[in-house]
Amino acid sequence: MNSLDKGKATKGRPETIKAVPVRHPGRWAGAVVIALLAAMLLSALFTNPAFKWDIVGKYLFHDSIVHGMLVTLELTALAMLMGVVGGIILAVMRLSPNPLLSGTAWIYIWIFRGTPVLVQLVFWNFLGLIWAKLSIGVPWGPEFWSESTNVLIPTFVAALLGLGLNEAAYMAEIVRGGIQSVDEGQSEASHALGMSRFQTMRRIVLPQAMRVIIPPTGNETISMLKTTSLVSVISLEEIFRAGQVIYSRNYQNIPLLIVVSLWYLFFTSLLTIGQYYIERHYARGSNRTLPPTPIQRLRRLFAGKPTPKTTADVVPGLEGGGHV
Amino acid sequence: MTDLTKTPADAGNGGPMVRSEDVHKSYGTVQVLKGIDLEVKQGEVFCLIGPSGSGKSTFLRCINHLEKINAGRLWVDGELVGYRQKGDRLYELKESEVALKRRDIGMVFQRFNLFPHMTALENVIEAPVQVKGESKADARNRGMALLERVGLADKAKNYPSQLSGGQQQRVAIARALAMKPKLMLFDEPTSALDPELVGDVLDVMRGLAEEGMTMVVVTHEMGFAREVGDALVFMDGGVVVESGNPRDVLTNPQHERTRAFLSKVL
Repeated sequence: MNSLDKGKATKGRPETIKAVPVRHPGRWAGAVVIALLAAMLLSALFTNPAFKWDIVGKYLFHDSIVHGMLVTLELTALAMLMGVVGGIILAVMRLSPNPLLSGTAWIYIWIFRGTPVLVQLVFWNFLGLIWAKLSIGVPWGPEFWSESTNVLIPTFVAALLGLGLNEAAYMAEIVRGGIQSVDEGQSEASHALGMSRFQTMRRIVLPQAMRVIIPPTGNETISMLKTTSLVSVISLEEIFRAGQVIYSRNYQNIPLLIVVSLWYLFFTSLLTIGQYYIERHYARGSNRTLPPTPIQRLRRLFAGKPTPKTTADVVPGLEGGGHV
Repeated sequence: MTDLTKTPADAGNGGPMVRSEDVHKSYGTVQVLKGIDLEVKQGEVFCLIGPSGSGKSTFLRCINHLEKINAGRLWVDGELVGYRQKGDRLYELKESEVALKRRDIGMVFQRFNLFPHMTALENVIEAPVQVKGESKADARNRGMALLERVGLADKAKNYPSQLSGGQQQRVAIARALAMKPKLMLFDEPTSALDPELVGDVLDVMRGLAEEGMTMVVVTHEMGFAREVGDALVFMDGGVVVESGNPRDVLTNPQHERTRAFLSKVL
């Protein structure tokens, strides 16, 4: 260390390299082509009268559109909640040494992943045709309580069941992959400390599996937001259905489809940002230092670039920190 | 050597900490342990050496029932490991009963196995809080004292990825000690470390030995075995080849296999 300091003191810092950077003419040509295509698209969007932007503006915050969007968001949140909770339970069952549990989980995943979600939705909607009423009581014995299926499962609940139970099957596989990605030494260490299988799963394995589970779960949530449009087939008035109802009256199909698309885009963008921060949270401990967030980066940009320290100053351990 | 006339009943508190009788273990058709007889006395530092694949790590993992033995008997502090005996019958212990016994046996792994999503201090207090139900404040105070003892009080808030290998292993030792074990198992604790970091870990282990902790140590550190060890066993091919006082065995091995092994590692 001393010799290094001395070397620096006598020679001083060598001159910073100033070289001519490599030119990229291909990139410039490409940018011109892309800019041209973008200009054509924009001019088409704003000059073609079929888009009817005034009508788009008029309906963007229309009462039934906003209400439909709220239904879509509610459905997305609840179905994902069902999916994640159900998925964790199914994944833990699937990895259980108990053949009854793992077999049950396997069959569940087989059925719900093996049939289209659209078909499942319609099935839940028609459940009343299979069982006119649902009851609680002794099997084949007396009933304590019963209720008509159509009352018990209104359209919203049917939609929720269809989306949530299907999602649980997909989440189960994502969670299982996450659990299996955690090093076996982790559960061994936890067991050696006297922690139970449940404690090990909850405190040690799942938090680490999260890092693997979160990114695909974000994708699933974004995908769920869009998949909710399928429930329009069972006449639940979410945003797509709300748009359809309006254009079936006024024949403004394209503007209303644009309204609906803009709302979907807005919320998928929000979800993408949320996913970024959640991933960051679960990266704790795996990266030595977390990269700055885009906001931190912006702030730094406007605050002016901090002068980078010379490498010799930031080599860890040189100051006796024992950080090797 | 091993006194086989002693029945497990008269073990109990004054008896040996670990007692193994004809322990066998196989994975499928591969026999890893082919009849291990040994006895670890209270307060003793017991070193297990031998070439890789000799079964020494497997035997260590049998002691806290991370591996199930196939034949023979194994006692820790006078109690059978993994089973309860009633008359001639053995009954497998429930998971919760196994966990209860593991509380008293600390284990340190070759690859540290610290929980990467927790800071050093969180690693240390995890089991006392979750398993023993200690209050967080108490556990934190004791945890800091333990980190102090392994020389890492200033790293309490660091995550394992921000620590060197030697520091991680010392946190792992503190984590095991937090459960106040009566027996510590070390599975090649310095094998994954850079040579310059080995000393710190061995110093902590030496300190433990001086305080009278019973320790079973699988190691390649012959210097440590000679200086700190009270007993030493050389294993090869799933059997105990030679055992005795570490200074005797290491300087004057009786068996050809021991001699061949030592000539390679010393």
